[in-house]
Amino acid sequence: MIKPGAAHALLHSIKNRGLAAWVLAALFTGFYLVLYFTEWFSPLAQAIGLGSKWTLYGTLYTLAVTAGGIHVIRKYRHNRYQVVRTIVVIVVQATFAYSIPMLLKFLHQPEYYLSYFWPLKLDYLTPSYIFSLPLPFIIYSFVGSLVLVPILAAFFGKRWYCSWVCGCGGLANTFGEPWRHLSDKSTTSWKIEKVTIYAVLGITVVLTALLFISYGAGKANPQLVRTTGEFQSYYGLIVSSLLSGVVGVGLYPLGGTRVWCRFACPMAALLGLVQKVGRYRITVKKDMCISCGMCSKYCEMGIDVRSYAQANQSFTRASCVGCGICSEVCPRGVLNLENVSSRDPQESKLIQIQEVAATRPLI
Amino acid sequence: MHYVIIGNGVAGVTAAFALRKRDPHAEISVIGGESDYFISRTALMYAFMDRMNLRDLEPFERQSYTKQNITLLRGWVSALDASSRILRLADGRNLSYDKLLLATGSIPNPAPWPGLATAKSGLVNFVSLQHLAECERLAPTTRRAVVAGGGLIGVELVECLHHHGIQVDFLVRDAWYWPMALAPEEGELIADHIRHHGVNLLLGHEITEVKTDTNSRVSAVRTSQGGELPCQMLGACIGVRPAIEWLREVQTPPALGRGIKIQSDFRTSLPNVWAAGDCAELPTGQVEQIWYSAKRQGELAALSMLGDTVNYTPPLFFNSAKLFEIEYTTVGVRGAESFFRRLPGKNVSIRIMHDQGAVTGFNMLGSRWNHTWFEKWIHERRDLPYVLKNLHLAQFDVEFGRVSLSALGVAS
Repeated sequence: MIKPGAAHALLHSIKNRGLAAWVLAALFTGFYLVLYFTEWFSPLAQAIGLGSKWTLYGTLYTLAVTAGGIHVIRKYRHNRYQVVRTIVVIVVQATFAYSIPMLLKFLHQPEYYLSYFWPLKLDYLTPSYIFSLPLPFIIYSFVGSLVLVPILAAFFGKRWYCSWVCGCGGLANTFGEPWRHLSDKSTTSWKIEKVTIYAVLGITVVLTALLFISYGAGKANPQLVRTTGEFQSYYGLIVSSLLSGVVGVGLYPLGGTRVWCRFACPMAALLGLVQKVGRYRITVKKDMCISCGMCSKYCEMGIDVRSYAQANQSFTRASCVGCGICSEVCPRGVLNLENVSSRDPQESKLIQIQEVAATRPLI
Repeated sequence: MHYVIIGNGVAGVTAAFALRKRDPHAEISVIGGESDYFISRTALMYAFMDRMNLRDLEPFERQSYTKQNITLLRGWVSALDASSRILRLADGRNLSYDKLLLATGSIPNPAPWPGLATAKSGLVNFVSLQHLAECERLAPTTRRAVVAGGGLIGVELVECLHHHGIQVDFLVRDAWYWPMALAPEEGELIADHIRHHGVNLLLGHEITEVKTDTNSRVSAVRTSQGGELPCQMLGACIGVRPAIEWLREVQTPPALGRGIKIQSDFRTSLPNVWAAGDCAELPTGQVEQIWYSAKRQGELAALSMLGDTVNYTPPLFFNSAKLFEIEYTTVGVRGAESFFRRLPGKNVSIRIMHDQGAVTGFNMLGSRWNHTWFEKWIHERRDLPYVLKNLHLAQFDVEFGRVSLSALGVAS
């Protein structure tokens, strides 16, 4: 039901794929197209003393995360997980993804984003780029991308990155809050997601391997260097610009906030695989679900959480970014995010109870 | 074999899936009058508050029914002939069955107040999709509403109306809020919380008369305390009762009491007819009317229909609720004594009831608990010190948000 009043009707339209949502999606998409493929923003950026359009973009992005984050903190102020997580998201964005790179540049160091890693940021394992940086950056990139990120994901799930650190996730969980419920919950979209996201991951891995090969053996094989270069520029255009920017944010008001994270992000794909064998899971309290569906409705990754909850099934889905909103909106406190440690005797007792529950008949 | 289930609520649909799981070939039909597909009644409030769409209320994807080869029929059953095993729907369709499950659920208790005879609109219930539609129709022209009845449906309706900016007078007959479930301390905590939201909660009030305007819409109620409360909507949330009236009219009615009388294997007095969920009256005379019992009964009734030996007695009671922002978990029964603590200044309290050295029940407000532990301790007849010492095991609060047991006065 829509309350009378123009402001409410407009808000309803924006949040529920009404006309206003389509207009806004067009504006967002247009903004990204102009940003990526023209220089129209450059004079504006220089006029207000921000140097380049990318600095202007970074400033807007940080402002959006901060303003949206404050809204989210107020909205979920009774939930400590949401408050802590959102504060971290804002701080990481404002420092690692904004002021530190600017400071580095000011100090005539490479403009390096400490919160980004391969495979999300292909450059950071692109040998021709990364080996041109000072040694500490090389070490940070390799250790971070190949060791630190997966190990933390094994212990805490991909959430430590996807909804605590990552800028894409940060924007989704702050500025994107009004649209989180628009993700498609159907089994069909789950099937599509599994194909597309692992396809992108595969392409990213192959490209990275080619980049290393052509870096090492390029002199002997100029054709390989040329082909790899073309491959890389198509990748940059399609994956980095179109999918993560134009589609990823442009579709917020129509497809929800995690379209990029869910269907295309190679980092999410990789960490999802780690998550499946790691400790993170969503624990379902036995027999307490009332099938209301709030969890599924507000899952930004389109996971049908209710189907697990009403079947008494604790679960780990590769796509789950651990935002914790399913647990927040559940009116009966059925769901809880946990890092299950089999070495903790208290935990294992609980798991036994849960597993008995899980073997009961369906629904 | 043709299984027919009357009622597409949680009992009926749970039974249908349970039948299919064990019998891959039988024909299974589910008849529903309220909606084409099973909906979650518990989420009606979220639809009213615009937090969900109607489609979101469906707990299963529509394709699950085709995948499981379960036929859904829309309609109301008007005739039942158990001797020839034939049903007739109100639209004239006939349906024969081999085994029949009655899972017709509950309907609201009718409002008993004088003056309603002249009211053509403004009186609402909040149990079915049709009630939701009526509420949504009336809400935009409602500035003030009265809701009568202090149960869970009442507080849900109050929250919805309040959400839409309607000033609500919430009339509760009892001396404190929800005495059926809560002790005075918790009742007061909840009452304060409801009032804090700006809802005018009036305890010890009953409606004595309903007044209507020239358009025959409800315009005010008079209360037992002598006051008059203007309102354009009147919510009657004074409990539900088994939806069995239609069975009194059919050719071969099953034995009826408060509900459809069943044996402990869910069989009714009619051959090849079972009943489960809110509409069923257990051999003890008990009628269980919550989501969890309907789901449980539906599943077990299906097993009985499949030929398994089923001997149902209700398990240890548990329930949950959310009263505005305060979550509520309860397990077990009252005891002679109880251990009560409230977190100072917060809407968080715990009550552990015990009797002759063994804990009997838990009433927890404002924090989350894994009730499986409570059940275990009650079954094991643990004493209070043991339970307090292990209480942290059952905490289910979000990460970083775990309620401090020492602040609650529970030394661990």
